[in-house]
Amino acid sequence: MNRSLVILLGALVLGVALFGGSYFAGQRACRMTRPADDLSWLRDEFHLTDAEMTRIQKLHEGYLPKCAEMCAKIAAKKSELETALGGATNVNPVAQQKLAELAALRAQCQSQMLQHFIEVSRTMPPEPGRHYLAEMQRLTLGFHEQTEQSMSGSMGHEHHQP
Amino acid sequence: MNKENINPDPGCAGGFAGASDGRLGALLRESRVSPALPPRFQEGVWRRIEEAAAPVKVTGGITWLDALVTLVLRPRFALATATVLMVAGALLGVREGNQMAHQDAQARYLAVVAPNSLR
Repeated sequence: MNRSLVILLGALVLGVALFGGSYFAGQRACRMTRPADDLSWLRDEFHLTDAEMTRIQKLHEGYLPKCAEMCAKIAAKKSELETALGGATNVNPVAQQKLAELAALRAQCQSQMLQHFIEVSRTMPPEPGRHYLAEMQRLTLGFHEQTEQSMSGSMGHEHHQP
Repeated sequence: MNKENINPDPGCAGGFAGASDGRLGALLRESRVSPALPPRFQEGVWRRIEEAAAPVKVTGGITWLDALVTLVLRPRFALATATVLMVAGALLGVREGNQMAHQDAQARYLAVVAPNSLR
């Protein structure tokens, strides 16, 4: 192989290695220096003051046990539903009842969660508060909307087929 | 070719011998059959001489490659390129790292306040 070509390829490899090494070092350093607590996103995203963060921290700590309790209830109800469905070839009345109870628990938990978001948004200045509430609703409830929209879209498509 | 005195009488010397050699030489030259030169022989000879005297030509691709290598191997250029690459890489990495850290933090908050079973 030509000597000039070898030198040029070597320089190219060295350049790529330098760029790649610096890129990963910068990325790693940036991710490691960021605080890793649960509420750091709120502080950065909504530019909250220490006083606002203290209030939110209190609300957060008050909400977490309630959330954990609801999650435990939902997990227990899911287990009951699985037992009711175990080996069945159709949805029996017991399973239907468990499904309804599970849905009610989820609705209760979602309601509690939305209430928490509203309380948190009220501790923020008006504009960041509105932005936070909209963002949390989009992130937590938007998933179902997307699924429902995609399903209704596909059903509509089927209706148009001859 | 060596010219030899072919006079059979070695005692005989002087003008006669010289004239005899001249005539003999002319006779010999006339009798020698020289082959005809190929067409444009002289032109071909000159062309080969010129080619031999000219510097060795290099193919087009190698010339710019050599020039590039010469440039790359200059210490100032190499140092400047390495610095630019490192700074650009680090800046891009920090930018990407910031975005990733932001997304990580958002996912962490969501996982705490809204478990997957509710979403």
